[in-house]
Amino acid sequence: MSQHFIAYTVIHQPRRLRLPARPIPAGASPEDIARCLFDEEMNQRYLEQVAQKCYQPATAMFQDMVENGFKLGLGMSLSFLRQAEQWDPELLASIRKLVAHPNVEMIAVEPYHSFLFYVDIRRFVERMTWVRDELERRLGKRPRVSDTTEMFMANDIYFALRAAGYEGAVLDGREWVLQWREPTYLYHYRQRPYLLCRHFRLSDDVGYRFSNRGWEGWPLRADTYAHWVREAQGDFVFVGWDYETFGEHHWQDTGIFEFARRLPEELRACGMEFATPGEAIDLYQERAHHLPLPEFPTTWAGSGGVEFFLSNGAQQAVFQLMHHAYNKALLTGQPALIDLAMWLLQSDNLHLIQWFGRLGQEAEVSAYFTPREWWELGPVGIVTEIQNVYKQFIRALDAAI
Amino acid sequence: MEAWDLIRGETAADLLPRLPPEETEFLILCFEGPDSYSRVGGLGARVTELCRALAESGYQTHLVFIGDPMLPEREVSLEGRLCLHRRCGWISRYYPGGVYEGEEAKVADYRAEVPGYALAEIIRPAVAAGRRVVVMAEEWQTAAVACDLSDTLYHAGLRRRTLMLWNANSAIGFDRLDWPRLRTTQAITTVSRWMKHLMWEWGCNAIVIPNGIPARLLHPAPRVERLARALRQQIPARPLLVKVARWDPDKRWHMAVEAVAGLRKRGVPALLIARGGNGDHGADVLRNARAAGLRIAEVEGEAADPAAVVEALVAAAPEADLLNVQFCLSEAALQVFYRAADGVLANSGREPFGLVGLEAMAAGGVVYTGATGEDYARPFDNAVVLETDDPREITAAALELLAHPEQAECLRREARETAARYTWDRVLPLLLRRLRYLAMVEGWEQ
Repeated sequence: MSQHFIAYTVIHQPRRLRLPARPIPAGASPEDIARCLFDEEMNQRYLEQVAQKCYQPATAMFQDMVENGFKLGLGMSLSFLRQAEQWDPELLASIRKLVAHPNVEMIAVEPYHSFLFYVDIRRFVERMTWVRDELERRLGKRPRVSDTTEMFMANDIYFALRAAGYEGAVLDGREWVLQWREPTYLYHYRQRPYLLCRHFRLSDDVGYRFSNRGWEGWPLRADTYAHWVREAQGDFVFVGWDYETFGEHHWQDTGIFEFARRLPEELRACGMEFATPGEAIDLYQERAHHLPLPEFPTTWAGSGGVEFFLSNGAQQAVFQLMHHAYNKALLTGQPALIDLAMWLLQSDNLHLIQWFGRLGQEAEVSAYFTPREWWELGPVGIVTEIQNVYKQFIRALDAAI
Repeated sequence: MEAWDLIRGETAADLLPRLPPEETEFLILCFEGPDSYSRVGGLGARVTELCRALAESGYQTHLVFIGDPMLPEREVSLEGRLCLHRRCGWISRYYPGGVYEGEEAKVADYRAEVPGYALAEIIRPAVAAGRRVVVMAEEWQTAAVACDLSDTLYHAGLRRRTLMLWNANSAIGFDRLDWPRLRTTQAITTVSRWMKHLMWEWGCNAIVIPNGIPARLLHPAPRVERLARALRQQIPARPLLVKVARWDPDKRWHMAVEAVAGLRKRGVPALLIARGGNGDHGADVLRNARAAGLRIAEVEGEAADPAAVVEALVAAAPEADLLNVQFCLSEAALQVFYRAADGVLANSGREPFGLVGLEAMAAGGVVYTGATGEDYARPFDNAVVLETDDPREITAAALELLAHPEQAECLRREARETAARYTWDRVLPLLLRRLRYLAMVEGWEQ
């Protein structure tokens, strides 16, 4: 039976592209290029919508929970942070307050929610080092544990996080990675960072299946779930959820907030204790087990491999353009343009077109996240215009070289 | 008493929707406008004068255009009735070459920005003040914007408080338009019957509302007449032809040049004053002129003072058959040329309306028009209407008028009378009549 319940949740809002693609004036400043690339009006609109449905009530809920002894690992992308700073300072204040609570541990997330680790591993190390300082500066807490975009983990990413100085990292506890092992123990590959494996099934019971009336576990009650957690064999259960699980993926009327508020009490009733990811490392590092890490990465998205992001021709084309955009920006040597290229590496730009030419649950998830305004362009129009954004950017940099 | 009598006179007029200035605002969407950055040709002149005429008639009028990025975003004149809204300034700063440089970027930005801007800054306040808004969008660049604005207004519950018209001043960009959407959301208008027929090909029956000219063109300053006389006296015994048009094959520059060469070949020492502006076609035209034996002189100078312009032309004339004017000509300088010339060659092959021809007629010029959109031109009554692209047709007409100066005088007189029927204060009532019909179709109450 597991002893500790470790909850981790991550907040992210993409910096959505402006579709249809805008021509970029030759010689445009980085600010004006950004204006052409990103649809900030749309980003503000979505932030405000999600804040109302999710961020505000969920933050209030987590605040109450941690004040009553619950512990939480909290990550957030810089993409979200800059939106909250720009458009919802009140929300940011409430999140700052939550982060300040001793029962909340700040987890360092790859700041751009990007595939930078694919394109430039050295800069990935530099950015992961930078974000630790940046989060401390902005939110007052220095992270010890790291997460990457979409919880990507692979052999090289592990060593990059080690180079960035992290004590711990998270990965999705997929069977193809763990093989005969359970996700309920602490692992390592080369001593540090220690590895916390997200309990894929128990996490998705809440994050993914909670409101699915066709699921045999529906309706999921807090006492039932607490029982499942307690019954898991091992030292602890580490669950990871999108913050948007609460109120956005599962609307308020599904009972998700009542479920979450009830959960700590039910877990305690089962004899469970709470720990943050960092505390779990302190508690269990003496008996951490070796976990061989795969060379192909694992992710918490889709079926657990990179195919969720690179399975169709449209995604592969954008992935190529991401490389070209980044490389071209490097050639300019201008930090502001390189910064824009890193924003263009956002994994969301691949995630949002996973549905292209595909059917099934994963495609439905992908289509759910595609901005509804884009559908006016039609499926082919969406993938074409996303590519055009990258092409415009690459061409616009001619003037900067 | 018959029922008919009951609705005669004012009673009948009361059955139509009214568009009084105190209850109506106009919003014009156009790329071109009054700034020199924004004026390329007839469209700039059209919207500038149309807006001014509406405002002078008492209507609150807004022009949303691609303005000079160095000028204020908003500028009010005519006691607050005319408001210029300069948009896309951040893009225009990268394109100092004028309104159409960086056109695609401007089209995208204008489309993205203007519907929301127009709703928030113009239409919503107007409706809140109890007024209705007539939206007139010009040319292909604004077609999608007009459609988007229609949707925006619909969602805001304000569509029925607006009349929306999209006007074609030329056929440029027709292949890019979403015609079904445009037809659904806008009343489609154009400037001539030729354009109307052309637009049948695109499945729409446009309403013709002609272009206008400012009334002041009929009453040029006294020094215009004086300078025109001076120009004639200082270039004696040489038939003077003038052509002001873009360097564009549609403007039939080659025809004009070859006509001058034809006159010279017949011993008539004609002189062509040419103002072509920008465009690659200009090089072809000048090469052709030289090959036809014409001597070309480039005329540099300042546009501001018409007397200086005349002086520069006179100085260059003895050694030239074609004076290539290298600077923009002011309205006064143009009036001098139109008045002084033996012929103004507005001989376009395809002309949606022919504003230059009408402006020249207002100055009492002998105008050679093409035979497409110039509804105002009547052959050898108020103008020379060219039916072919054969330069000999110009040569023949010029020789005839040189031989019969009294005919030329008749043409000049009729031309001015015709132009007087196309001043904006004469065109506006027609526009308002069309709008009342459209308002009735929209279900506006009187």
